[in-house]
Amino acid sequence: MPVQPEDPLEPFYFEQEEQEICGKLVTPITDGFQEDYPSVVDRFFTRYYYFKGDVPYQVLYHSNRICLICLAPEHPALGQGISSVNFDIGNVDRSQNVVKGKGKKGGMILQAESTLALVTTVNGESYKVPSCIRGKLVEVNTSLVEEPKLLEQLPEGAGYFAILLPKIENCDAIKASLLTQEQYEERLKTKKEGLPQIESTEDKT
Amino acid sequence: MKNQDLVEYLRSCGVCEICQLRYLKARGAEYRNINETLQKLDVKLNEYVKNEELVVSAENQPAKRARLGVCSTCLGLFSKDFQNELLSSILASDFAKYDCQKIVLAICLPMSLQLRQLAMWFALRRRFGASIEESNPPDVPIKEAVKLILHPIICEKLDKGYDANGLMINIDLTHNLEDEEVEKLVKLNKEAFPAKASHQKRIEISRGLLEKQYQPSKVKAETFEKYFQIPCSNVEESIKLISIDLQGPVVCVAGRYRKLSRELSHTPWILNGKRLMEESIEEIIIRDVGPHFTEKLGKITFMSSGREDVDVRCLGKGRPFVLEIPNAIRSCLSKDEAFAMERAVDASGMVSIHNLQVVPREELTHIKTGEEQKKKFYRALCALQEPVSVKILEQLQISTSFDIQQKTPIRVLHRRPLHTRPRTIYSVNARVQRGNPKALIIDIVTQAGTYIKELVHGEFGRTTPSLSSIIGKPIDIQALDVVGIDLDWPNEVDNSIQEE
Repeated sequence: MPVQPEDPLEPFYFEQEEQEICGKLVTPITDGFQEDYPSVVDRFFTRYYYFKGDVPYQVLYHSNRICLICLAPEHPALGQGISSVNFDIGNVDRSQNVVKGKGKKGGMILQAESTLALVTTVNGESYKVPSCIRGKLVEVNTSLVEEPKLLEQLPEGAGYFAILLPKIENCDAIKASLLTQEQYEERLKTKKEGLPQIESTEDKT
Repeated sequence: MKNQDLVEYLRSCGVCEICQLRYLKARGAEYRNINETLQKLDVKLNEYVKNEELVVSAENQPAKRARLGVCSTCLGLFSKDFQNELLSSILASDFAKYDCQKIVLAICLPMSLQLRQLAMWFALRRRFGASIEESNPPDVPIKEAVKLILHPIICEKLDKGYDANGLMINIDLTHNLEDEEVEKLVKLNKEAFPAKASHQKRIEISRGLLEKQYQPSKVKAETFEKYFQIPCSNVEESIKLISIDLQGPVVCVAGRYRKLSRELSHTPWILNGKRLMEESIEEIIIRDVGPHFTEKLGKITFMSSGREDVDVRCLGKGRPFVLEIPNAIRSCLSKDEAFAMERAVDASGMVSIHNLQVVPREELTHIKTGEEQKKKFYRALCALQEPVSVKILEQLQISTSFDIQQKTPIRVLHRRPLHTRPRTIYSVNARVQRGNPKALIIDIVTQAGTYIKELVHGEFGRTTPSLSSIIGKPIDIQALDVVGIDLDWPNEVDNSIQEE
């Protein structure tokens, strides 16, 4: 008699316990599974981009206006290999930022062009990471300082440098000042094709 | 001073029998016996006096049913006539609308009464000298006497029990001399308690001030006499009832709710003045439970031991909740009525309630401690980016508790302070869906206050460790159910079982 190869997952299969609520059987939680479920970033954030010169940065804009400042996937440092991240930008150490209470009192007020952090690459190049938006510094991701290499492999969003909270009244202007995903892709394309660059917000710097 | 002399003097001042007893410092039952009938009153009074080893001469006994005008010290508050007026007024109010077994009287007395008490105090000191103390009232104060005398009578006549948390009958009283005497009192107050410095604000006359400051040790009889008679004058008119206002008790109805919908908020969800969802758990429960207790559903407060997000179901035994219902017209809930409410809520198809019962207000503290300290049981539907391995499943079988550090989630960070909170995870148990090796069903037991969604995916490293960091791979959460809340309150009650 042929022996069925044993399924190693057998001890781990889920069995729904029956429960009746409101006169009907509770549906198993697995019923809601979606193969193409959007990621955390896709669910709650809108991607925006900011150019400092030719170097792109990404702003993940949460539906509650909280902003995560990241390197854009096309940031040159990611290709070169990152050797260090530093929040001590010379005159001030961003990692010393402290906020208190609901209003995030005491957080540093940053302008779009204010330097947030310094990134150096293995071939010695150095990038000043800009704040990208005007807002209050809420949190700094100091784990990047300890393990800068992680930036190259972390999933989207996890390589955030800082969390900023813009003022409600500035949000529309901020969004207008950034490039949308579409505008960003368009700009990358025109750059590749060597066409003259369309005028955009990066000229601010 | 002999009690006999005291009673004789009081009588000569037009003081009623009840107030005479007040000045004899009588206690509870002694008043009740006196009030049963005037006939018996004579006998009892004698007995009472005998007990006190006193002899009251025959000619000093009050004549049967002889009405001594209006008492100069209680202004008729303790008279039979007033009791009857009070009773009929209570019965004429919305009293019948309230289905409460317990009542409490709250009487607002005219200040004249307090002034008369003081006048008599001065008079007794003049008559009997130092045997009447100057800072301890010579009588059982009217407020206390109301509790001893009026309360039991009204309760008995209405056939209700007494309970400080029962239906509150607010009774507002005045007297035709009140305005005039308060006016005099204001003048007296200026003289008796002059402001110490010109910039100092004079303390306004209040009942509290009257009670505390107006006694022979603090106000001179001579000053008092410039404005008021010692002893107090006789009056023609009795005390008058201004209004009766009923305030039902605060009734607390507790139970557990379960929530089947992933599109139902806890309380009405209003964003920028617009409702996002038609219904809420709070509204569904209040709609079916509230009308039994009050017409004003808007005044009901809904509380629960924590809450789940809009898209989270609450299953298992459910989450303890309580409705706090002010000015309730009923304080009882039969099992039949409770069961009917449970079925009505079930008909929503989205929320179910059970264990519905009236609970003492003191027990509400349980619900708040449950919010912060208790264990919570969850089931999460999680998705891997690749089929699960035995190794991952084994990594997600954790039976010893561990601590995580959790930063305030980004989704609430705009309105809450940034903190890193330690939270204890008691256990993790992952299983896989048959035929769908990317789908994990993870049962998690945590300390209350843990953000589960963030615990699963780690939120960009802001929760550490997370299930994602434990397996070293991205893992996302697609659905969450609360399956248990470790709070044994309220008691389990099966309302479908008929009462005897």
